[in-house]
Amino acid sequence: MSFLVRCPQCGNRSVYEFRFGGEVKQRPAPSAPELDWANYTYTKVNEAGVQKEWWFHRSGCRQWFQALRNTLTNEVQESFFPEELM
Amino acid sequence: MSETPDALKFDFNGKQVTARPGDTVASALFRAGQRIFTRSFKYHRPRGLLCLSGKCPNCLMNVDGTPNVRACITPVRAGMRVTHQNAYPSLDQDGLALVQRFDWLMPVGWYYKTMTDPRMWHAAEPFVRKVAGLGTPPSLDNVSGNYEHAYRHTEVAVIGGGPAGLKCAIDLAIQGEQVTLIDDQPALGGHLRYASQANASLVDLIAQAEALPNLQVLTGCYCFGLYEGNLLGIVRPRRDPNDAEQLIHLRAGRVVVATGAYESPLLFPNNDLVGIMLSTAVQRLINLHGITPGKVAVVIARSPMEEPVVAALREAGIQIAAVVPPESVVKALGKKHVTGIETRGARYTCDLVVVCGHRIPDAGLLHQAGARLQWDGKKGAFVPKDIPASISAAGEVTGEGLIAPATLPPERDPASKRAFVCLCSDVSSQDLVDAVDEGYDHIETLKRYTTTTMGPCQGRMCQLPAIGICARQNSRSMADTGVTTARPPNPGVTLGALAGARHHPIRRTPMHYEHAEAGAVWLDMGEWKRPRYYQAKPGAAEKLCVKEEYRAVRERVGLIDVSTLGKLDLKGRDIGRLLDKIYAGRLSDLRPGRTRYGVLCDEAGIMLDDGTVSRLAEDHFFVTTTTGNLDFVHQWIKWWLVGTGWDVFTTNLTPGLAAVNLAGPNARDVLAPLTDADLSSKTFPYMACRTAQVAGVSAILMRIGFVGETGWEIHFPAESGPDLWKALLEAGRKYDIRPFGIEAQRLLRLEKRHVIVGVDSDATTNPFEAGMAWAPKLDKDDFIGRAALRRLSGETPRQKLAGFIMSEDVLPEDGAAIIVNGELAGRVTSARYSPSFQKAIGLAWVPADRAHEGAEVDVRVSGRLARAKITEQAFYDPEGTRLRA
Repeated sequence: MSFLVRCPQCGNRSVYEFRFGGEVKQRPAPSAPELDWANYTYTKVNEAGVQKEWWFHRSGCRQWFQALRNTLTNEVQESFFPEELM
Repeated sequence: MSETPDALKFDFNGKQVTARPGDTVASALFRAGQRIFTRSFKYHRPRGLLCLSGKCPNCLMNVDGTPNVRACITPVRAGMRVTHQNAYPSLDQDGLALVQRFDWLMPVGWYYKTMTDPRMWHAAEPFVRKVAGLGTPPSLDNVSGNYEHAYRHTEVAVIGGGPAGLKCAIDLAIQGEQVTLIDDQPALGGHLRYASQANASLVDLIAQAEALPNLQVLTGCYCFGLYEGNLLGIVRPRRDPNDAEQLIHLRAGRVVVATGAYESPLLFPNNDLVGIMLSTAVQRLINLHGITPGKVAVVIARSPMEEPVVAALREAGIQIAAVVPPESVVKALGKKHVTGIETRGARYTCDLVVVCGHRIPDAGLLHQAGARLQWDGKKGAFVPKDIPASISAAGEVTGEGLIAPATLPPERDPASKRAFVCLCSDVSSQDLVDAVDEGYDHIETLKRYTTTTMGPCQGRMCQLPAIGICARQNSRSMADTGVTTARPPNPGVTLGALAGARHHPIRRTPMHYEHAEAGAVWLDMGEWKRPRYYQAKPGAAEKLCVKEEYRAVRERVGLIDVSTLGKLDLKGRDIGRLLDKIYAGRLSDLRPGRTRYGVLCDEAGIMLDDGTVSRLAEDHFFVTTTTGNLDFVHQWIKWWLVGTGWDVFTTNLTPGLAAVNLAGPNARDVLAPLTDADLSSKTFPYMACRTAQVAGVSAILMRIGFVGETGWEIHFPAESGPDLWKALLEAGRKYDIRPFGIEAQRLLRLEKRHVIVGVDSDATTNPFEAGMAWAPKLDKDDFIGRAALRRLSGETPRQKLAGFIMSEDVLPEDGAAIIVNGELAGRVTSARYSPSFQKAIGLAWVPADRAHEGAEVDVRVSGRLARAKITEQAFYDPEGTRLRA
């Protein structure tokens, strides 16, 4: 594993500078049924293709951001701070 | 070259050898008359120079303490110390060569067939290890520390400095690209270096390359891996003993692989005798080093492949007894050194056999990067296809200009116990034939069963003949048989280079040297050094020291350095909201000046960390985490803040603040004269916090009680650490204050039944099981883990964390088994001898139905069972009156 991750603030860096934060998932509402909570907590899609993920630039700007990564090629297509989309 | 400077003398097995400029270790030794360079792995057959290009295992030696160095590509340095490997007593007279007489006892898969009983292996292992092998690893105290890592970037990396790579690098550099050219030989030029006609264009090319400022050349450096994202692993060996062996992580925008083609041996009985060399090696000896490798030569070649080497032999004045086609060779003659060649119909006497072998595209890096290798019968080679987009290939590695020297798969039965396919581990063609007969008929299983292609040469010498035999025995084509997978590192890399510089980060608290002076015995906690206990007098036993520290805290007053706690400063209007969301408890209603214990859970209700939360002002909180979890908690908080737009600023104050815990019945008496804060229980009650001056230093004071006595945790600027520590000890002198370490603290907290998250809990523990059902506030609208904890609150846990007292005078180890009705039912997480009880006490996971006052379980202590009684209360001061005093 030696691909590059593009931090929206610091640019392309070795993946070893980052902490992987898992798939981006929608957290259910507090009143949602237990099944939704169980799915959110325990189930991963594990997409074979482009997946939206959380990354933390541990050895850099120490910010969380999201990235679109192809899990088959490890190509990071896009990365962004989610605030900027809101 | 007539004059030899003294500077080029080196030591070989205790004797001085003189080298000439431009010599490698191997060429200098050959010139000095050395013919046997190694003894083979299994049979201890003598082996001499074969490839002279760093591709075969025949010249591995120990150089300056580093084992398995390829002597043929290691330039001679004055004073270097070279020794042979795996031969007893010497290369020329190796007693273990007797082993080959018993080769009939060692069929293919010998280990698997004979070592079927573990006792057998243990009996045989010392002998096998001695007989079979390569170099010996350097002893641990003698490891040179000279290893380092370098990180570089380039627009284009060109691997291979032969004509194709050189031209390509120059062209790209002229176009303005930043180019790095890597070559494993001591000088650029590839095969042109040892061509018979001095090559004027090579001189021009090198001059041109040197003149280009944006072309960086790394010679004598080998690339062992081409990884994802065009990351190249490159080793730059030591240039002198004080130099560092460097591992270069080179990140390239594009990669051009121009590694060329190398030569590999042909298969016939005794093909491994000393004096049988590949044609390129002979050219190198003659044209690069001015060495005449023999008097009379036989050349084995398919015409016209012999032409370049025949020219070189003639120039060197070597008589050519015959040029014979590979199909006609019956066997090589000789014992240690080749004495002749027997062909069908003739016998030739000679002292040199030149083999024009298979030409193999050096496509390992391309294969690693994902290219496919496709059989091309005309070229007699597997050539790279479907090369990934940002990588390209140039020159002979593409198969350009290659012709096959011999038919593959072989037409004749290849089986012979003395025709060596794999030189690294002595695997013969007979062994491969047998292995296929035994059912290992796929090239990948054949490889693993016989270890062919798995030795130091990583298949460079053996892969093609092995595929040929596998194909023939299965009556399949070369293409259908396919190749084994190429993986890095190829060639091998020293573990030292991979590990890099030997440094271990250490974090010291601001009071480190005060502890050292007081006789601290250290405990490593991650990178931190913490006093485990203080050795009051030299040689004092740990048990007595800890007991003394314990008694000071319980009876008088003690002081512990807790600077390693994670310390987070939170400011903003929305901190209450944030903390209510991420902590299981409620914190938004915490009043300024108050401190509360907090537990963090994940969405599955698992306890992640705990600590204190103090509200210093309306919009200012101070949060502590456990020593090891600071980064995790800080990142966790930041993660949950993303996208909320909440007004919260987090700052990690851990390195900037020192912290101590002053605790014991006299703690107030010690602290009062030093501070402007009123410490009476009325104005500064248990779980209150204040900012105040302590010994003239601004500090945060929290009245908390991890150890169960009246006490204050004091956080203050790190630079005042030693001063404040000394001031507190000075003020405490009349109460006989003692600094105490982790061991006493662990005992003190255990008596209070305080849980340490990560010690008493693990990655599956929820607060209900841990006896902290009070911690989650399930009536909060929302918080991390709420859904899971609501569900768990209605279930009966299988196990519970319970306190226990041993009924007899034994101390279980942490982790000891809990036995109920003769079955394993849990484990001890912490156990210590309690001076208050004069018995061992502890925390353990026990079945839920046993987790009540008075229940009994058995604990395994030193191989037998001892009875323990469960207790629900804290062992010490269960009402907490001392804490609140």
